[in-house]
Amino acid sequence: MSNPLLHHHFVLPGQVLATSHSESDGGFLRGHGTYIELVPDDDDENDNDDDDEDQALGGGRGVAGTSSSFGKLKKKSSSGGGGAEGWGNFDTSNVVMQTAVGDDNHRGGGSAMADTNDDNDNTNNDQQQEAPLLSKGPQRLIASVAGTVERVNKLISVIPLSPSIYNGQVGDLVIGRIVGVGGSRWKVSLTCSSPSSSGSSGSMKEGQLPLSGVNLPGGVQRIRTSEDVLAMRSLYREGDLLTCEVQQVQKDGTLILHTRSLRYGKLENGVLVTVPPHLVGRRKNHFVTLRGLGGKKKRGGNTDISDSMNVDNEGVDEDGDENEDGSNVDVYLGLNGGIWIQRTVPSRWENAIRADQDERAPLAETLQKLRQRHASTRVSTSMREGIARVRNSIDCLRLVHCQISPESIELVARASLDAGVRVADMLLPEWVVKLTEGTRRH
Amino acid sequence: MASSTRRTDILSLIHIRSDGRRPHEIRHMSCHLGALPSTACGSALPTSACSGSALVSMGLTQVLCVVRGPCDIGRRSDELPDRATLDVSMRTTPFSSPGDRRNVNPSTDRRLIEQSHLLQKVLSASILLHLYPKSKISVTVMVLADDGGRLEAAINAATLALMDAGIPLKDMVCACSAGRWNAGGSDDIVVDLNRREIQTATGMGGGGGGTSDTIYLPVATMPQRGTIVLSQCESRLSGDADAFAQVLEAAMVGCQMVMDVMAAAVRERGMGLWKAKEGKANVMLNDW
Repeated sequence: MSNPLLHHHFVLPGQVLATSHSESDGGFLRGHGTYIELVPDDDDENDNDDDDEDQALGGGRGVAGTSSSFGKLKKKSSSGGGGAEGWGNFDTSNVVMQTAVGDDNHRGGGSAMADTNDDNDNTNNDQQQEAPLLSKGPQRLIASVAGTVERVNKLISVIPLSPSIYNGQVGDLVIGRIVGVGGSRWKVSLTCSSPSSSGSSGSMKEGQLPLSGVNLPGGVQRIRTSEDVLAMRSLYREGDLLTCEVQQVQKDGTLILHTRSLRYGKLENGVLVTVPPHLVGRRKNHFVTLRGLGGKKKRGGNTDISDSMNVDNEGVDEDGDENEDGSNVDVYLGLNGGIWIQRTVPSRWENAIRADQDERAPLAETLQKLRQRHASTRVSTSMREGIARVRNSIDCLRLVHCQISPESIELVARASLDAGVRVADMLLPEWVVKLTEGTRRH
Repeated sequence: MASSTRRTDILSLIHIRSDGRRPHEIRHMSCHLGALPSTACGSALPTSACSGSALVSMGLTQVLCVVRGPCDIGRRSDELPDRATLDVSMRTTPFSSPGDRRNVNPSTDRRLIEQSHLLQKVLSASILLHLYPKSKISVTVMVLADDGGRLEAAINAATLALMDAGIPLKDMVCACSAGRWNAGGSDDIVVDLNRREIQTATGMGGGGGGTSDTIYLPVATMPQRGTIVLSQCESRLSGDADAFAQVLEAAMVGCQMVMDVMAAAVRERGMGLWKAKEGKANVMLNDW
């Protein structure tokens, strides 16, 4: 029942992952979720011994002899992680205590407060991906998040328990919501939180979409003028959802976005689901099409009603043909955890639009018209059911913390179709467990 | 001393405290990570703008901590160019303390302001703030029930909530108090004091004073490296450095015990997530 692998490699913040003794090379590389610090000078030689436990230094007043009991406790707790090269290797000797009594600023009496601003801090250049080999002396690699250790040759990283923070990389597809317009840029909330929620931008930093990062309507290429700045709201206004790509990650972690591709832009007439960002992995293509999930197939029992309702849809709906596209669902997997589901635009729409306009019309114009048509055309009831099924499949995967990929979504959706589950029932706990059964057979 | 012996005196003769603990025993502690729905779990609800939360109870003291961020700072002027701003606020519920049921205003109550300030200092010693420049991490602590030691509980809860949010920490910060008083003729050093014991150790008002040889000392440490992050003593030390050292040492041992409980809670949470992935957990629909 308990996975021994998980137990062995589970670490807490502050736990020492590896120690390097040699002065020349580190012996390890710093991955995510870890940091490096120098082993304090006074216990260079005896990292693994606990013979200098009484090195507890009192800053203001002598406090000694506290560490002997610690040594035992630490030894006990580290016994689970024995293994290669310093796993779970606490050095008990690094007991540095500082108590500055009486010199506190905000309370005249005996209030004592000591920050840990000791000499360890000078090695905290955590932002580099690789560990710059610091001046000299033994270093150690310490976990900074709770999670499982992953190790590729020399690179040691910790996969967090619940990584709620999305760290953008250039080229990532993200789905965001416009929360502000101004200063010739749009502010994009990457939590997709609604703009009404009392100004709270969720728990992530906002992305920035500069005016130069969007395609002007009609696909013309020119320098943006002040008129364009004034007309920004006609492109995207507050509350709009859009797909975009990360163009640049600034040094402080702010994401600069762009939509300068015909695939990116405003999202309309579909469903948004948000999941924890770590459930969406990087993949080759984030625009995926799930075939044959959008209804139109004879299924058991409950779909009869919707099929019959489909008839009186006032002819607005054009999915009803024998066309294969009529039953496909598009899923846009945003790496920030936003997932957009909409119907696949049938290819004959595109053909029809192409037939209308002259030969040399730019592709941008065609796609823009296509987009408009998609936004204004009602989605048929059976397609809506298909979209809802895909949405609930994603929700099922989220509830069991399973990686969300086209394959896993399809697996759950197919399982629900095979079991004849109503869309609304898919999120009942017993069905969630049953439907996601297939994702567990590795 | 009155001639009649009180119950507490008898208990102190056999070194058992008024709530049945031994001197070096901490109160029953339970931790629950992810107590609140969070955006990390994918909720689009406007109420769930938190990225991590933890509910910690130490004895009868119960504290809820919510962490948000790293997110944008509203005002440009508050931005720090090289590291994140840490925003800490501590609040109490009107029903939290048994004595006075007044609704204390968190913006004017001096105790709360001081404790938020201490909490801020403690946490900024541990969080690797330089990883998130120009952003804000906000920590909100709500004291649900106060039976003494709310600062310690708040520190523990904040550490767990930060871990739940996945914010990089230098080390886990664990807090525990220790105290000493002259009861029943013998010096007693006790760990993790409850409200009643704190009142004994600091004099009834809790505002400082007490007799000359009583100490009440909340301590926060990073147990894995043995660093003391906070030790706050408001009692007058009567030139007795040894006593202080003993109390400090007892508190550090207490912190280690607290650490073990917290580590177990985090491991349990990890196992829970793992088992959910394996389909063994009870899937709760309200776990947004």
